[in-house]
This record gives sequence, structure tokens and C-alpha cells, in this order.
Amino acid sequence: MIIGFELNGVQVAIETTLSMRLLDVVRNNFDLTGTKEGCSEGECGACIVFLDGKVVNSCMVPMSNVVGRSVVTIEGFSEMERYKKIETAFRNAGAVQCGFCIPGMIMAVEGILRLNKPLTDEVIKEGLSGNICRCTGYQSIYEAVRRLGEEVWNDVQ
Amino acid sequence: MFNSIRPNSLEELLEIIDNGDYYIFAGGTDLFIRKRQWQGAERKFDKDVVFISHLEELRGIFEDRNYYRLKTCVTQDEVANSTLLPDYLRVPYGLMGNPAIRNTATVGGNIVNAAKVADSLPLFYALDASIVLKNIQVDRVMSIKDFIFGRYKTDRYENEIIYEVIIPKEDFSGFRYKKIGSRKSSILSKLSVFIVYKKAHGKIVDIRVSVGAVNDVPIRSEEGEKEFVKDNDIDKFLLTIREMMEGEDDRRSTKLYREEISLRIIKKFLVEIMEE
Repeated sequence: MIIGFELNGVQVAIETTLSMRLLDVVRNNFDLTGTKEGCSEGECGACIVFLDGKVVNSCMVPMSNVVGRSVVTIEGFSEMERYKKIETAFRNAGAVQCGFCIPGMIMAVEGILRLNKPLTDEVIKEGLSGNICRCTGYQSIYEAVRRLGEEVWNDVQ
Repeated sequence: MFNSIRPNSLEELLEIIDNGDYYIFAGGTDLFIRKRQWQGAERKFDKDVVFISHLEELRGIFEDRNYYRLKTCVTQDEVANSTLLPDYLRVPYGLMGNPAIRNTATVGGNIVNAAKVADSLPLFYALDASIVLKNIQVDRVMSIKDFIFGRYKTDRYENEIIYEVIIPKEDFSGFRYKKIGSRKSSILSKLSVFIVYKKAHGKIVDIRVSVGAVNDVPIRSEEGEKEFVKDNDIDKFLLTIREMMEGEDDRRSTKLYREEISLRIIKKFLVEIMEE
């Protein structure tokens, strides 16, 4: 069947099935391969996209739940102003090693920033709790987000 | 081969499930894992699937004078961030899964799966919550405790859906919640303890204690709670709970660990509550 939705700000319609995963559609039908498949069961966060502005694991979202809604992948988010800040923060903290988890990590960080809360250790750790990184040991990623928090918070004030 | 159906209304959904046996698919955080396939391969279901998450009639959190009402497709995140609901519901829901899971997993899904480790069930047992089950002809209301009669076993008929959860409003003085897993998030519980209580003039006048993930269904002793309100005898209460424990070793934990740690947490909480 034809399913229509908004992808990275553009209205799209594709021939697929209601039970196809959003992850497969963005990767296979639209060649947006920044969204990764890791665990396939919602634990690693590599496949995070925004669905109507909220972080979701696209490996567990059937296309039925996407009909008429807005999806933003890492490719779409990388066009936005805030992406640049997150990217810079990750680069400055040396938070990227193999890179596989990073698209999901960056989406999760944006999910944290959208909470509009001061970025305490607890808020950061809770916000990244659905993302697994096997390289960094997480400390450099926390550090990137902590520094980013100071910057974003200073901007607000 | 299976068919996937996306009804346009609740009425259409009820008509569909009245005429066959379907997987009812809401958030998908359980069903998609159970039907796991190789990367890129479409998930295969061994019977037809009907999707319900998009139905507006199954969404929303409401309250009336005596009850909170959660429609079945309310997400865990919506509960955790509700401005209507009390902390004793919001806080435990905020500790379930992880942020991305909470944005899709539903209230009804966690109940109807009836998993031993379902984190919402101990809350609903302690709060005497009920559900409304709907089929094309009638509604029936039953307590969640009666609805769940074993691991993955419920009293739902094939032509029914959980429509909403009804939670009596109570003026609790406080609550305690502790979930133990091998890490803090994204984890299935080894055990969990949930307590709500009322105090008046420094004395406990109502207390509800439930333990999740030890037995196939949550443990709660209403008789034991009544005795405890009268005699405040913690050791006697713990013995009552211990006698109800019938768990077994599994890959997440041993029976001994689950039972000992549950009882220690209950004891710590009861001492705190009495001293408060």
C-alpha cells in the first residue's frame, strides 16, 4: 500500500507495508543510512529518529504508526543549527571513536536539549540511558554534553 | 503470509477483531522483538495484525471526581510527564525502559502482555486499578488483579481490547518505589517493590505493598497489610510476604537473591515510613 508521511521536512509517499519497520524504510527506500541498526530490540539507540519531535527507536516503529506524521533522521537534523553545536561539542571532547553509535547519540542529545532542563549529570545520564557505545566508555560523550549544556544554558541566559 | 489492517475508528477495530484472531499491535516494543528477523527483513507474523496506536479514541489521560482514566494507547512517557497524575504513578513510569522506549510503549500493552517483569503491574495491584475491556457488543470492567492469572495469561477474549485503565483517586501521604536490575535503564527488572501509604496523627492508617518480578504475577497481601496497620509488626509482615514467594532461578537472577532483596527493601521502606 502507499503510505504518506513527512520525511526531513518533505512530504513523501512510498509503496510499503503497514508492518514494515520505519528503520528499513528510511535506510532501504530512501537510502538514509545514517540511521543504524544495532540490537534490533530498542536497547542500543543506534536507530533513533524523531517522530513528531520525540525520540523513538525506529527498529520498533511499524509504518502504520508513521502514517501522516513527521520523521526526522540524522540527515535531516544535520541541516539544523543545533546539530552544528552538538557536532562541535563531540569533536572537542573527542567523543567519537568508531562512530557507529554517534548518529543515535546525537539524536538522543537533542532529545535531552528539548527537555529544556538544566543539564545535570542525572539528566544527561537518563537522556543517554537508551544508547550504547562500545568504544568510548561514555565519559567523553558525557563530557561533550556537559560542556554543551553550559553553552546552551549561557545562550538562554 | 499475513494481513496488516489499520482501522479508521474504534468501532471498525471492534468489528474486525469480532471476526477473527489477530495480533493487536500498539507500541510494538514487545511484539516487534518477539517477531525478530534478520536485518532488513520484514517481520513475519503467524496471524493477521491489527494496528491500534493511531486511534484517537484510545488515547488521552482523564480524571473525574473519583478516578484517573488512562486510555490504552497512552504512552509511558505521557504518564511520566502528565500534569494530571500523582507522583506515585509518574515517578515509576519515568523509570521504565529508556526515553525512546517510553515514547512508544503503551499502558495497555504492558498490562495485556502480562509478563512476569511488567513494571506497571505492581503499581496497579497496589492501587486497586481496574480495566475496561470492550468488544463490539459490551464493556466489562474487572480488576487488573483478576484479569491477570499467570505469566502471559490474561482473561482477555480474542474479540476484546483493553479500552482504558481506571485508577481510584486516593489521598496517599507518600510512596516508595525501588526497581532492581543489572543496570539502571533499558533493563528488565530482577525485582521491584512499590508501596503507597496514608498516615494520620503519626500513625499508618492504610498501606499497600506489592512486589513485582518475583512470582509470575505481583505479590500483594491485603490481609497482611491490614494486620500491619493494627500491629506495626514488620517481621510478621515480612514473613507473610515471604510465604507467598514462589519464584525460581532464571537468567536474570536467583530465587534467593530476588526474595532476600525484596524483603530487605520492604523492611527499609517500612522503617522509613514508620519513622516519618
